[in-house]
Amino acid sequence: MILEPIVPTVLSVRRLPNADPAMIRAYGGDPERHRSLGLVTVDQDDPTYVALDEATKHAPVDVIFAKSFYAGSAHASGRLSGEILGVLGAEEPESIEHALAALLRCLEHDACFYDADGKRTVTVFPHVITSLGEYLSKEAGLAPGEPMAYLVAPPLEASIGLDAALKAAAVRAVKVMTPPTETNFAAAWLTGTLDECEAAAVAYAAAVVDVAAAPKR
Amino acid sequence: MSRTRQLIASLRDALGSAEPLPPPPPLPDVPPPPARVYTPRPEKRPFAAEAAKHTTALVGIGHVGTRYATDVVLQFQAELAVAHAAVGTLLPDEWAEQNGFIGVKSRVGDHREFLLRPDLGRRLDDESLAIVRTKCVRSPAVQIIVADGLSAVACMGSGKALYDAVARACEARGLSVGSPVCAQFARVWLEDEIGQEVGAKVAMILLGERPGLGTGDGLSAYVVHDPKCGKTDGDRNMISNIHPRGTPVEDAAGRLASFAAAMIEQRTSGVTLDLARLGEAGERAPRPPQVRQRLVERGG
Repeated sequence: MILEPIVPTVLSVRRLPNADPAMIRAYGGDPERHRSLGLVTVDQDDPTYVALDEATKHAPVDVIFAKSFYAGSAHASGRLSGEILGVLGAEEPESIEHALAALLRCLEHDACFYDADGKRTVTVFPHVITSLGEYLSKEAGLAPGEPMAYLVAPPLEASIGLDAALKAAAVRAVKVMTPPTETNFAAAWLTGTLDECEAAAVAYAAAVVDVAAAPKR
Repeated sequence: MSRTRQLIASLRDALGSAEPLPPPPPLPDVPPPPARVYTPRPEKRPFAAEAAKHTTALVGIGHVGTRYATDVVLQFQAELAVAHAAVGTLLPDEWAEQNGFIGVKSRVGDHREFLLRPDLGRRLDDESLAIVRTKCVRSPAVQIIVADGLSAVACMGSGKALYDAVARACEARGLSVGSPVCAQFARVWLEDEIGQEVGAKVAMILLGERPGLGTGDGLSAYVVHDPKCGKTDGDRNMISNIHPRGTPVEDAAGRLASFAAAMIEQRTSGVTLDLARLGEAGERAPRPPQVRQRLVERGG
């Protein structure tokens, strides 16, 4: 059946309660404020960006490092590599615990790719963030608390979908990542009122499903 | 569920209804299960057959493997349907007038409330109270009330016939009978308030009883001496199962009239009423066995 959720698989979750300052600096953190780290790898990158952002709403943590791996989880360097490594930094290990719990909850129950063709050969990520956290608001240049549609699909599907989303709703493109991204997808971040973001996400998903069903029309 | 998952689920439903699902894949060849045929055992145990003659309880019904036979299941469902239909039936507003009764109503507003609030079914509403005070004959020996109770089917079926028979039987014993009253949405204890208002020596309510399997047409009669609000079930004498397959109307009428006469004589009712002094009409003759009504016929 089309548009079934494909729930992300969390491949590893580890903590470093007292990381070495050199290592923290190398990963983009501040050794004064980010002594305690939490690291996750997941087989879906975009849901993880959303989940990392969600984590910043639940505890005083910063996302000090989050990068997708080239060509995605189908071509991973190891069994536990997945598609992304995310690193959360905080002063206290307890903050990391709260943040990781929120992150895992979001990955299990909220953010995920959806099957766009019934065979899982085309997938789409038409996610609506109702209220941005510290991390993605900074990345997008928006204020924390604003809604944002986070839309991802394979290259051509994403292009058709973006056009449909922008025409279907009164939204503004904050950032468009043309293909190829690290994982060879294409992405767009749109903002507007929550209702308009939702309408844009639905139009995007419908367009991707349409392309998947009739790629050469 | 998260907001995004809800959105995509409704999109999935919308797309799914627009484009029907592809045909299901062909089923693999499944070998048929080994044949196991159960037949009812032809001989019944003699005691079950004998017991079944004396009761409507489900004894001696046989079995098929570990289950009931189909006709037994269908009979059960048909009987349950009769009971449900009887509970769900309403007594029409005009029924009382058409049959020569003074129509009154309890404090219940609708049928659902009637089922959920027995307390409201035990008191008259203000309008009905005024009707009882103005229209009914005062201080009769016996005030008879016909009511729907839990089966309006029974009330409409034999309520009028039972009323007439009881009224005749009471008058034959020299007891004056009050105005005929018919109460809607009534519980048994409503007789207390009506009897108290008219100042009757004995109040008698004839109402549809809680339907059992296959008996939606049974009436019960409750008789109380010196009716007034606050009387309990210990103060009442009653007859149940007044229907063609149970106690016939004529038998019940004679017995009810003898109850009323004895109550007036002994000035009490309920557990303190001495039934031994009722005489012939009061004797509890063993009732002939009830015959189960077949609602489902078994094929050959």
